[in-house]
Amino acid sequence: MVTDAECKRKTYIPMLDELLGGGMPAGTSILFTAMPGVTSEVFGYQIIAERMRNETDVCFIYTNTRTPVEIEHVFQRYGWDLRSFLDSDQAFFIDSISPMMGMPAIGKYSIDDFRESEKTITNAISDIAGGIAVIEDISTLLDSIGVDPTFDLIERLNKEARSNDVNMIYMFTRWNYEKVMLDRLSDIVDCEIKLFSVEEKVIYRQVFAITKSNWIKTSGAKIFFEVLEPGGVRIFIPKLLVTGPYNAGKTTFTKAIAPDTVSVERQTFELFPTTVGLDIGHIDYKGFSADVFGTPGQERFDLLLEPLGREAIGTFIVIDSTKPETFVRAKEMIRMCRTEAIPKVIIANKQDLPNALSPDEIKKRMALWEDVPIVPVSAANRQGLDEALDILFSLIYRI
Amino acid sequence: MIPKIRSGIAGFDNLTGGLPENTMTLVYGPPKTGKSIFCYQFLRQSVEEGDLCTYLMTDYSLSQLEQQMMTFNWFIHDYISNKRLYVIDTASGSVGAIQKETKNMMVSFPQNPTDIASKLIQQLQSVYQQAQRFRSILDSSTTLFAFNSPILIIRVLKSYTMRIKMAGGTGLITYTEGSVEPQIETMLKATVDNIIHLDGEELTIEAMAGLKHEKASYRISDEGIVVQ
Repeated sequence: MVTDAECKRKTYIPMLDELLGGGMPAGTSILFTAMPGVTSEVFGYQIIAERMRNETDVCFIYTNTRTPVEIEHVFQRYGWDLRSFLDSDQAFFIDSISPMMGMPAIGKYSIDDFRESEKTITNAISDIAGGIAVIEDISTLLDSIGVDPTFDLIERLNKEARSNDVNMIYMFTRWNYEKVMLDRLSDIVDCEIKLFSVEEKVIYRQVFAITKSNWIKTSGAKIFFEVLEPGGVRIFIPKLLVTGPYNAGKTTFTKAIAPDTVSVERQTFELFPTTVGLDIGHIDYKGFSADVFGTPGQERFDLLLEPLGREAIGTFIVIDSTKPETFVRAKEMIRMCRTEAIPKVIIANKQDLPNALSPDEIKKRMALWEDVPIVPVSAANRQGLDEALDILFSLIYRI
Repeated sequence: MIPKIRSGIAGFDNLTGGLPENTMTLVYGPPKTGKSIFCYQFLRQSVEEGDLCTYLMTDYSLSQLEQQMMTFNWFIHDYISNKRLYVIDTASGSVGAIQKETKNMMVSFPQNPTDIASKLIQQLQSVYQQAQRFRSILDSSTTLFAFNSPILIIRVLKSYTMRIKMAGGTGLITYTEGSVEPQIETMLKATVDNIIHLDGEELTIEAMAGLKHEKASYRISDEGIVVQ
C-alpha cells in the first residue's frame, strides 16, 4: 500500500517535510515569504539541490535578482554542486537579469522584457515535467510589471505546473506591501511559508512557519533555523543542557555528541578530572543545530545550575548506571536546573560496565516521570548516542 | 534639546549644531556637488570619535574610497584594520570578490536588495553587540534606483532606514537629483528625517528637526566641504 507520505515529494528542508505531512504533493506551489534581512534564497536552492541529487528531478531557476554566475557561486558556498547538473541539462536557468544589466544572458532561456515572462516560463515548465521550478524574486516582478499582471502570471504558471506535475517554488521578499495584496498573493498559491525573525532591535533568531497549506492542517509551529555554509538550512535549538550527578560521565557524553566541546576542568585529588565550570559544545546532526551546555555535578557548584538551565529547551540527564545511590541526586539536579517542564531524556551511561543496571531497573528505582525516556548509553564507546539525540529532538519538536 | 552628533563638515556643525542623533539624513543634489565628499567627512568624523560605521557603497570599492579620502589627507587604513568599518560593496561585485568576504567586508549586487538587506542585518548584529550608537552611510541610492524598479527601492530604503535607526545608528543616504521621477523623489524625501540639498554653491537644509529652512554657501577645498 502506498501511504500518503510516499506520494509527497520531499523538500529536504529539515522539519518542513514532517510539518507538511511528508512534503509537497506533485504539481503544487509553495510561496516563501521572507521579511527583509532573513536569509531566504537558501530554501529554494536547497530544495532543488537535494532533489536533483536524491531524486534526479529536472529543475530550473528563473532569476531577476542574481546572475546565473552568482547563483552558481551561492550553491558552491552551501556545498552543492550546481555546475555538473547544468552540464548534464538536469538544471537550467531562465536568465531575466543579465539582459537588463546589459550583459549576455546565460542559460537555456532568457527574458529581456518582464512582460514576456509568461511564455518563456511556461515553455520551461513543460520541459521539466515532474520537476521543480524556483522563481526568484516575486517582489521584483510586482514592482516592475504591477500587481495584477504578476498575479495573472503566477496563476497561469501554477496551472501549467499542475498539468505537468511540476512543483513551483516562489521566493518573495516582503517589503512594505499592502496587506490586501499580501493576502491575495497567499490565496493563489497552495502553500505559504513565512520566514521572519524574532528580534530585539536587530535579528537574533530566524524562524519559519507554515501559514497556509491546501493539503495539510497547519499547526502554526514556529521553527527556529540557522543557515550554515556549507550545509544549508538547519533547525536551530538554542540550548540543550547536559546535567547529572558527579562523575556520571557528563563531559564524556557532551564531547561524544558535540566533538568540539570546550571544557573548563581541572585535575582533582581524586585522580578524576572533573568539570568545575561548564562544557560548551555545538551539535550539527540530521538537520538540527544545537548549542550544548554541560553543568558541573558537584554540590558545591549547585548555584550554577539555575542560570545554566535558563532558556534550555531540552535536557539530557546523565546517570551512572552502576551507582543507584546517585539517582536521588540526579532528580535533585533536575529540580535545581528548573528543567522539570522541558523535554528530557535520561542517559543510562556506563552500560559497558558489568554491574550496570538495565533501563527498566533504573526507571523502577528512580520512581519518577513515567513518560521520560531512558536510553542505554556507553558514552566512552559512543554507543546509544544517535538514539538519545533522535529521542530528545523528536520530543522537542513533537515530530 | 535634540541630541546631535558632529557631521565632520567645517561650518555645518556651527550652523546646525550637528546632525540629530539616531535619524536618517538625505543628502541630494546634481552630480559633482560634493555628496560623496559629505560622506567621506562624515566617515572621517566617525574615525575621529572612534564610532563604528556601516558603509553601503554602490559606485566605488573600499580601496577606491581609501584613495579618494587620501587625496584629502584623511587616512582610514587603521580604522579598517581595526574592524571599525562595515562595508557592503555592490560596485565591484564579482565572484572573486565574494570569496574574500568577511563580516566587515561583504559583497553584494545592486539588483539584489534582498541580499543587501540580509548582509546588512548580519553586520548590524555585530555592530549592535559592540556599541549603542554608530554611523551609517549609503552612497548612493541613485545606483540602486537605476538597477531596480524605483518603487521597490523606496521600499528597500524604508526598510534600511528603519533597521539603522532601530539599531541606534545615525545615517546618510545620498541621491542624485533628477535621476528618478518627481513622485519617487517625493517618496524618497518622506522616507528620511532630515534633508540637505547641495547645488555646488549653496547648502540648503530643507528639513531638520528644530531648525528653520537654513541656507549657507559652501565650497569644496582640499579640506573637503567648507560651509561659510
